[in-house]
Amino acid sequence: MEHTKISTIEGLNKYREKILESKKNELPTVFVCGGTPCLAKGSRQVFEAFKKEFGAQGLTGSVELGIKTTGCQGFCNKGPLVAFADKDIVYMGVKPEHVPEIIEKTVKKGEVIESLGYRDPQTKKWATEYSRIPFYGHQKKLVLKDVGQLDPAKIDDYISRGGYSALAKAFSMNPDTIIDNIEQSGLRGRGGGGFPTGRKWRSCKAIKTDVRYVICNGDEGDPGAFMDRSIMEGNPHAIIEGMIIGAYAVGSNQGYAYIRDEYPLAIENMKTAIEDARGLGLLGKNILGSNFDFDIKISRGGGAFVCGESSALMRSIGGNVGEPRAKYIRSVEKGLYDKPTVLNNVETWANVPLIITGGVQGYRKVGTKGSPGTKVFSLAGKVVNTGLVEVPMGITLRELVFDIGGGIPKGKKFKAVQTGGPSGGCIPESLLDLQIDFDSLSDAGSMMGSGGIIVMDEDTCMVDVAKYFITFLVGESCGKCTPCREGLRRMLDILTGITEGRGKQGDIELLEELCDVLKWGALCALGTSAANPVLSTIRYFRDEYEAHIKEKRCPAGVCKELITYRIDEDKCTGCTVCAKKCPQKCISGEKKKPHTIDASKCIKCGVCKTVCPFDAVIVE
Amino acid sequence: MEKIKFVIDGKEVEAIRDQCVLDVARQNGIYIPGLCYNPEVKFSGGSCRLCLVEAHQAGRMSLVTACNYPIREGLEIKTDTSLVKRIRKGIIELLLARVPDSDVIKELAAEAGIDEPRFVKDEGENYHSKCIACGLCIQVCEEVVGVSAIAMLNRGPDKTPGTPYKKPSEVCIGCGACAYACPTDAIPMEDNGDTRKIWGREFKMHLCSVCGKPYIPEAQIDWIVKTTGKDRVFFDKCPDCR
Amino acid sequence: MAIDIQKVDEIVFGYEQSKESLLPILQDFQREFSYVPEEGIKRLSDIFGVPESRIYAMATFYKAFSLVPKGRHTIKVCMGTACHLKGAPFVVEAIERELKIKPGQTTEDRRFSLETVNCVGTCALAPVVVIDEDYYGGSTSENIIKNLKRYT
Repeated sequence: MEHTKISTIEGLNKYREKILESKKNELPTVFVCGGTPCLAKGSRQVFEAFKKEFGAQGLTGSVELGIKTTGCQGFCNKGPLVAFADKDIVYMGVKPEHVPEIIEKTVKKGEVIESLGYRDPQTKKWATEYSRIPFYGHQKKLVLKDVGQLDPAKIDDYISRGGYSALAKAFSMNPDTIIDNIEQSGLRGRGGGGFPTGRKWRSCKAIKTDVRYVICNGDEGDPGAFMDRSIMEGNPHAIIEGMIIGAYAVGSNQGYAYIRDEYPLAIENMKTAIEDARGLGLLGKNILGSNFDFDIKISRGGGAFVCGESSALMRSIGGNVGEPRAKYIRSVEKGLYDKPTVLNNVETWANVPLIITGGVQGYRKVGTKGSPGTKVFSLAGKVVNTGLVEVPMGITLRELVFDIGGGIPKGKKFKAVQTGGPSGGCIPESLLDLQIDFDSLSDAGSMMGSGGIIVMDEDTCMVDVAKYFITFLVGESCGKCTPCREGLRRMLDILTGITEGRGKQGDIELLEELCDVLKWGALCALGTSAANPVLSTIRYFRDEYEAHIKEKRCPAGVCKELITYRIDEDKCTGCTVCAKKCPQKCISGEKKKPHTIDASKCIKCGVCKTVCPFDAVIVE
Repeated sequence: MEKIKFVIDGKEVEAIRDQCVLDVARQNGIYIPGLCYNPEVKFSGGSCRLCLVEAHQAGRMSLVTACNYPIREGLEIKTDTSLVKRIRKGIIELLLARVPDSDVIKELAAEAGIDEPRFVKDEGENYHSKCIACGLCIQVCEEVVGVSAIAMLNRGPDKTPGTPYKKPSEVCIGCGACAYACPTDAIPMEDNGDTRKIWGREFKMHLCSVCGKPYIPEAQIDWIVKTTGKDRVFFDKCPDCR
Repeated sequence: MAIDIQKVDEIVFGYEQSKESLLPILQDFQREFSYVPEEGIKRLSDIFGVPESRIYAMATFYKAFSLVPKGRHTIKVCMGTACHLKGAPFVVEAIERELKIKPGQTTEDRRFSLETVNCVGTCALAPVVVIDEDYYGGSTSENIIKNLKRYT
């Protein structure tokens, strides 16, 4: 479409009609997933194959409209994924050689190719419809509705699916009514804290000032979390639309999107989206004839987890070291450049258009009373199905891990699920029926966090997990306040001692004391919540700590100093692969006879276990 | 300036709205420890965490740093509760393990009843001399002197004040304000005859034309002359002989 | 190492003279020179009138920056939670053994720099190693060494 500025709401509607008109009578558009995991699995080649085949099979019409790369379609470990516009079909593990058949059958005739669908591991039955694939069937896609169904780099795709109609509606509303709506919807901050969004907006609006700012926090730094990345990459306009509505409601003319440096594609797609929105007049002066001016700048993060903390983020935007400040005066009062500022997370902003379009009642139909709406999670770790999921608040962890996630691979036993990243905790099996919402997770000693869900199985050592998170936090602490700078490294010393067999009585108690100092004494949320991974593992897996300390034993077989490698004579066939690959050359034995490991030279690098085709290497 | 009343340790006290708790407490003879805050330096404070107190407001309690907590209506402060003492003691123990040679910290530890930290004392490569990384020196250099010769470098446990590339700073004027402001006396400054050494750089000292005492680095005079337009002649005599 | 000061100026003058530009300029330095050179910080300080110490502090605070030149190829081993659980530590150790460098270091021939990163957000591929722009999922101490050979 030709891009000229749209200056009225009617103009936007006309523009949308024109796009829809130009799309009529075409074959269903093919959506090739362009999420990073799918790209790594070769989806670009699949995309190229489609483009080539499109012409080869004599299809008329524009290739650009016929084949699109989309954002993450969710089922990451089954990629590359391919979907079709307005059809209940999804194909998995698609390779370029499948493409001619897909065009021939599915695109041209609407036939389904069963063998490219999902095969249930138990029933061995194939399914290609979303509703019949458990990973998708249990989800409720609202925020992610358009992710995977449009080309994120094409503003026309977004507009044709109703995009920016929420903005048009918002301009017909009084700004205070918009805030009322957000408040009544019960939307809570999706970045982790769960603070009521409407209240935040109202407080900001209440301050008399010449300048206000709105900020989108896209500094998603929790390890194991990629929800915000997927939204920024897959549907950036939803975030921008939410920000314009928010800015209009609180009276701000300048927005910032702070995006993590490690997410180059998210930065690129957000940048394109902002430029395109500006090109159509949806950002800039007098948007849609409303007399309201607003624009968004992108700030690229510098690789500091602490910048996800709002005051550190604002310092970073201003060209400083990202150190937090005390939030005794809140940022809605004194935020960026000491001006009243509304900072919301990516997913929170993406919820805003849904509330305006669907209304308060419509929005509250999903989720729980205290936490309405849906939550996007990234599901990963020791779980069969990994990927991006959106579920109603109030779903249980069990449903998430077992129904959607398909349980634990290789018949292993479930041990825990970690939520909330380094600020969260580990939740044991006994609490699997816990309903997921902001409050219940905090009560269990974890937190919602931004939505990373990491599943752990029996081979996971919980002391090692605590050590992992504290190592992470030591590296990411800004170092400004004493409890965080000094306390965390002392905790790490103790945890390292425990995992290396130097644990002693009183260590657990000393850890708890340090947690106490951090929780009460640290300056920002990174420090005050840093105790959670340690406290929750002590609370639910104290026996594992004690096994390390008292018996010098790692029950899960993870902690190097406490384990040995040996070869199971019954399983070893003497294939010699391990002996060849051992970097220490400490495995010996005759060909076709069981081998042995010289424990005195073994560095426990795990290579033998990785390469053994017969699973004969035992760790104890 | 709006005057309001608030309660500290059971006593009703008057303060200016948004004034910090620590200033008012000190004015009223209430002792709260604290190292990183200097009332003359606007952006100081908030890092050492020794001045933590209980703030009760709107039915909620939190531990806050007295040095930057703004006083507002309805606030009640408790400076000496068991929670305050427990967390403060924990912080002092951490500092003691970091800078076991600091007399200031040793004194605080003795007050809190700590003989020895339960953590391995920092030494060798990890030795911090007496520096608690509070950042006051940096703020003084930036805000008061206006030079910014030093900055807080690195992050986390490696956070430390220093000059770029640890080289002698080209912009330092040798005034020593950072060393005077340091709460733990951690910045080495050597005055030797008519030279001063600080941050790895040697400064020539200006001698008083009357008593002959070296009293100010030449570079500092240059800086003052340049930034304030003051007459150079003014610096001929030291303050004692003026 | 001598730095093309003209390149530095091109970058610096390409931005609005505001503190908000400092971080992006340093990022451009990093991309252009594979590190943040001292000359660049000095020049930026002069032009913007921002103290050198402040810019240097930023370069030491943010992980995106290196103060020494990087190798031709950068290996980023993801240390996210999922990758950790699935054996990322073994992968790092294997690379350390092969290249004889630790994370944060560069090989003597400047072929590789090794880094550990927090989470690249592709947990479905765990353990993930990113070499330059290429993502390697399901990395093991075994296959990663083979993959290194593709880079010269």
